[in-house]
Order: sequence, then C-alpha cells, then structure tokens
Amino acid sequence: MVLCQIIFRNSTNALRRINLPASIKSQFAQSHARSFSTTLVNSSGRKYTKKHEWVSVDEFNIGTVGISNYAQEALGDVVYAQLPDIGTSFRQKDECGALESVKAASEIYSPVSGDVTEKNVAVEDTPSLINTSCYENGWLFKIKLAKPSELDELLDEKQYEEFLKTDAS
Amino acid sequence: MIMNIGAVRQSRGLLGYIFTTSMRSTNAMQSNKKFSTTTSTSTTSSTSKDNELIKKSVFISQSYDIFTNLAIEDWIYRNYDLKNHHILMLWVNNPCVVIGRHQNPFSEANVFGLKSAGIELARRNSGGGTVYHDRNNLNCTFFTPRDRYDRKYNLNLISRAIYREYGIDTEISERDDILLHGKKVSGTAAKLGHPNAYHHCTLLVDCNKNNLKSALTRNEKEEIISKATASVRSPIKNLADVNKNVNVQQLLTAIGYEFLRTPADKLCDGGRELVMQQRGFQLINPTEKWFPGLNELRENLNSWEWKYGKTPKFTVSTTIELKTNDECHNSMKVCVDVEKGIIQKIDLILKGSSEVMPIVSSLIGQPYDENNFEKIVNALKSVSTENVKSVYENGL
Repeated sequence: MVLCQIIFRNSTNALRRINLPASIKSQFAQSHARSFSTTLVNSSGRKYTKKHEWVSVDEFNIGTVGISNYAQEALGDVVYAQLPDIGTSFRQKDECGALESVKAASEIYSPVSGDVTEKNVAVEDTPSLINTSCYENGWLFKIKLAKPSELDELLDEKQYEEFLKTDAS
Repeated sequence: MIMNIGAVRQSRGLLGYIFTTSMRSTNAMQSNKKFSTTTSTSTTSSTSKDNELIKKSVFISQSYDIFTNLAIEDWIYRNYDLKNHHILMLWVNNPCVVIGRHQNPFSEANVFGLKSAGIELARRNSGGGTVYHDRNNLNCTFFTPRDRYDRKYNLNLISRAIYREYGIDTEISERDDILLHGKKVSGTAAKLGHPNAYHHCTLLVDCNKNNLKSALTRNEKEEIISKATASVRSPIKNLADVNKNVNVQQLLTAIGYEFLRTPADKLCDGGRELVMQQRGFQLINPTEKWFPGLNELRENLNSWEWKYGKTPKFTVSTTIELKTNDECHNSMKVCVDVEKGIIQKIDLILKGSSEVMPIVSSLIGQPYDENNFEKIVNALKSVSTENVKSVYENGL
C-alpha cells in the first residue's frame, strides 16, 4: 500500500522533470492523476471516523491510529500529546487521550475497539510531529483490533473527503 | 438525564425571584464604536433558522467548592444536549489554585505552601495554564456543541458586558486573554470533545494579589524538566483597580444578561425582546438528585490520582555542595525521576564526572512532593566527596 503511494509520488516527480510543452504536460498530468486517483484513495488503506481520527490496519490486525490533516490544521500547534498506556483496553468511540493546542484540550476517540500495543514516544517528546506529519511520523498509538468488523462502519478516504466537503464544519 | 434537566428547569421559579430587576441601562454603550461591530461567530453553515431554535440559559452555581464546580462543568459537558441549548455557567470559588490538564503542579505552584495556607489545588480537564481563584474572581463557562465553539465570541461578549455595566474598556489579546490597560484580567482555556465543548475563563474582580502571588511562586532552586504545558506568566489587574464599584454579584448579573440578549450566531444586541425568548437564569444546586453521578465526578477530581498522578513525567534536580577541599569535585547534582506522580529513580552525578550513580532509597515508589525531595537533599548534604561512592553502594 505504501509502495503504491511511493510509486505515485515518483511518477509525478518524474512528470515534473519531463520537459514537455505545458499544455500537453497538464493534460498528461490530469489524465495521469485521474487514473491514479482511485488507486491512491484505496491505497492509503486508512479508514476515518467522523471525529477525524484515522486507523490503518496491518495483516496482523494491528491498527495504527492518528488524526487527519483536517484535524491537525483545525487544532493548530500541538504542544502536548497525552497518549494511552500500553495494555489499556478501549471500546470503539471511547476517549483514549488528548491533544493540547492553543490552551484547548481536544479529546481523541478510539476509532476501533481493542488493546493498546504501542504508543508513539516520539510524538510525546515532539508533539509538533502531529502537525508536520500526521499520517506518518505523527501517528499516536497502535491497537490490537478486538472487532475488525468495526472497520466497515468507518469512512474510506474518498468518503471522508466527501464528508469534509459536506457535513464537517 | 431528561428527568434531571426537567428538575433544573423547575428551579426557574426561584430565579425569577432573584432576577426581577428590569433590563439594565444601555446608556453607557450607545456612543461606543466597539458595539457597532458585529462579528460573525460561526464557521458553520447553519442558517438563521437554526439560530432561532437555539435557546440560552445562564446557570449560577451555588457552590464555592472548586471540585464541585469542576464536577458540574464535567457533568454538563458529558450529559447535556446542547444542539439547541447554549449554556453559560457562572461560578465562584473559595481560594484555590487550578492547573491545566497537562501541567505539573510542582512547576506551577508552591504545593506545600498551598497546603499549609489551606488553599486547594485542583487540576481541570481543559488545557492552558495555572490560575488562582478566590471569592473575588468570577468564572464563566460557555457550553456549546463542538462546531459552535467560539472563544472570540464569548470573550467579546464579556468585554461588552463590562463596558455596558461599568463603562470600562477592555481588549482581547491574541492569546485570548482579556486585557485592561495592557494587563491581564482574564485567562482562558477550553475542552473540545464530541459532541460537546466548553470554553471557560477567569475574571479578576478584586482578587487578593498577594495571595495570588505567593500561591503561584515556587522554590526556584529546584529545576524541573518535563514536557508538561508551562504557564505563560503575565502581569495582572483587577477590574476593581479602575472602578471600585465592580463586584462579583453585579458583574455576574451583567454578564448573564449580556449572554441572554446576544443572539447565538453574532455579537449584536437583541435587547429585552431576545432576553424574554431565552430560558433565563437558573440557580444550580449541586446535588446528586439534580446531577446523578456528580459525587463520583467530584471524588475523581479531588483524588491524588487525578491531581498529582496525572502529572506528565518529569525530572527534578538540584545541586548540593560537598564537604571537601577537592575543587574539581566539590558539588553533585541529584536528579529525581517522577512518573505518574511516583518517585521512580534517584541519580547522583558528581561534578567533573560523567558517571550517573543510581541510588537506593526507601523513597523510591513513594509519591513525589517537596518534602520528600527535601528529605533526599538533606540526607545527601552530610555526604562528602569521599563517601559519595559509599552512598551509591549502600543506599541513602
């Protein structure tokens, strides 16, 4: 999945390097982007909640949890990350931590049920990672899924983007 | 829950009695340009029809106990449906120091000094820095759905109330403090969840500045290193400094009325007509009958586990002079690691040496406080360079 993204990035970079007339380039870029857009949407593998958390699950049923780019932008500079301890059990939608920014503590809700297996110590030390890299280095914690079927209730990337356009405020 | 809200509503009769004063004079504000500006609050796509549905209530807490008031706040946040009902809670406390959710009480206050002065220490659920409260400080909590959370609207509303009532001109800083002559009269913090959120702020009416200062001063000899949110210390002012007529009771009524006469979506004056459409003032009696589960929330807020155990991990250190003639090794640093409020590790580092010597002590596993730290320091004061090693080997 990650591989797919890298390939996509490389291909756009390559595109930039090719010296074609601008019109052809943009046409090519558009069609290229279009053909890739669906792959990209599915390829991130992330599922989103309407509260703006994401979870990405590996083949061992371990989900990595973070907050979306929309959420980190809305929060502003995160100055403190309170993450759940390893071994804590959560049900879906339970409060599982908090992020502090501009004097506000924002609750994080667990997107799935399960037991916490790891927390991102780097984010505890450098909370700004959430702002600079919310989908990669700024992940929050990992959780062993108790009910993988819960993923079906979550939004995929495309649905989440639609949700941001229409329902989110 | 619904039953409970019903119970709250019934109490209106009581309030009607207290707040029969007619609408306050609007003379003071007519000429001021600040009232002509209307700030659009919402980032939502709500229509004006939605806004018409929103009714407002002013709750006045009858408790002066910080833990009870924080528990009421938490109860409302957890249980109320705020979609069409915005609430302003006004409350006052006996002397106490309130730290932000992710703060270290030992960095922010003189914790031991507070205990001996009978000043409570509390940790709130919202972010932000440390504040001192007493009976001459008014607290305002604005409860809305998360998508209606708007600190600027709330602070401007307070600023308008102060101007309307007393003609005192205040401004809102970039940090969302309310300033009077450039000094802070109000500090802000917030808690954002789903579906609800709240923004609360303090308002210094005639606070005891000496008590405030001594409560928030700590022993600087010890250095505390942690990731905890640090307070931004600011010069403060009381509203009563510029107008001695300002008092908590009158200001509380003025802010309550301003809240009711201001539409939920924009800062303008809806006047008496709008006030009449609102749910009005309600006195809040903090009982288990009104708020089932309130006692448990209060117990949690007053527990050691919440107040101290929630402190982000930290290291406190100080330098101790040693009895020796050896100038290269005449002092040592003692570092105490604290996690979840408990002493985890005590290390010694001799000046001029890079070796870290963990030492054994019965204080490991004990709750950290200034007294326990002093015990460690005192035990080490008698040590000389020559026997540092023996402390390391045999424990304190």
